[in-house]
Amino acid sequence: MPVVSTRDILKGLLVEEAMRRQVIQLSHDVSLDKCINQLIKFKVNALLITDETRCPVGAVSKTDIVGAFYGGLPIAESLSMDIMNGPLITCFPDDELGVALDLMRRNGVHQLFVQGAEPCAMVGTLSYSDVVALLYRYCRACPKGAVRRSELTDCSDQTQLLIVRDAMSTSVISCRQEDSLARVIEGLTAHRLGAVLVQDAKGLPVGVISKTDIILAYHHGSSLEVEARSIFKAPVASCDENSLLSDAIRHMFLKDVQRLFAYAGDPSRIVGVLSLSDAAHIRSGSCRACITSRIIAAP
Amino acid sequence: MYARDIMSPRFHILSPANSIAEAVKMFHIASVEEQKRIFGLMVIDEKDQLVGMLSMYDIILFIQPKHIHVWSEIEDLEAHAIFGELLDRVKSVRVSDIMTTNVVTVKPQTHVMAIADLMIKRHIRRLPVVDGNNVVGVVYISDLFYHLLEKFL
Repeated sequence: MPVVSTRDILKGLLVEEAMRRQVIQLSHDVSLDKCINQLIKFKVNALLITDETRCPVGAVSKTDIVGAFYGGLPIAESLSMDIMNGPLITCFPDDELGVALDLMRRNGVHQLFVQGAEPCAMVGTLSYSDVVALLYRYCRACPKGAVRRSELTDCSDQTQLLIVRDAMSTSVISCRQEDSLARVIEGLTAHRLGAVLVQDAKGLPVGVISKTDIILAYHHGSSLEVEARSIFKAPVASCDENSLLSDAIRHMFLKDVQRLFAYAGDPSRIVGVLSLSDAAHIRSGSCRACITSRIIAAP
Repeated sequence: MYARDIMSPRFHILSPANSIAEAVKMFHIASVEEQKRIFGLMVIDEKDQLVGMLSMYDIILFIQPKHIHVWSEIEDLEAHAIFGELLDRVKSVRVSDIMTTNVVTVKPQTHVMAIADLMIKRHIRRLPVVDGNNVVGVVYISDLFYHLLEKFL
């Protein structure tokens, strides 16, 4: 009887190949005002918080800041230590990427801190988008991938290319333009989402509100009662659900967005959402060649 | 020789509530009016307090796509058009969102060699000169450069 073993396409790829080497860190006694400044300025999901000896004691994420806004914490007087989460969720540079991805998913976080040889030394961060960026670069170089397929002389290769529908989530949470920010935050939190779709009175998509938009509103002194229409981003970054996954990933990188809303034929008919974390979980940038290679019948 | 002797008493400022587009226009105006390239501006709030500095570097850092290394590998890229769309997405961002808030300052009576030491060690190219709570000038690295190396001119 053949022994079936699994081979992960990420096998052999290490965290250090995908991680970012810049760690944005702040002291535990800085204000939330400063935390938001750093999250926006460096476009990161979370900040490393250190104690007076510069040892890491926790992290402050965009989700924590949104929670502080919802809880009515004064932005200038509240400190990072008031809202930080600990202990840190970390991995090592020589951990396998697949293991790190599983760690992120298990803990429901979008970013891991990468620990160096010393417990106090964080040498980088790893997010879903970093993993997807690495996979996308591999796919661009792969002759079976969507990008170089036209160069193939052997047209018998029938490896099916992945489309957005294969990876997207069909659960789309939306709000109305006139909904308050408090209600938008409740929707985001209840569904553990990074963004919601904003619809007009006819139910047509008109914009998107992400956690970044909410923490900007907090930073600008907005109240929780202001309407969603005052902060949403338009137009909605979207693609057809039958688009190639590789094109959608490229679109996200070029537009610098974390997610694309997927429509069925008509852009006003949103049927799903594809985030970079969905793309990371697929563990391939463009086709099924990588996926099928995960299961191999050993001799 | 002290900061007060080499500082520029004329300076342009930004408000924390300015948009990034307004800041870019102010950089241009300041460079034209001062007849030299201005790479950084002080951010002063409604109480006349210095609350930060914004440099061209801060703006470029912010507008550059997070995965710029992927961009560099895509040959068939209409970068200019795509970048234009990216700029549309930063309309809601203000100067206070991305400015540097830990501002190193000097006093009017700070010695020029102490200023040189600060600029070298901290990689600073402009230093606000603060008297009490008020900003009274700014020392640019070019001011210091031409002052220290005047003999060669």
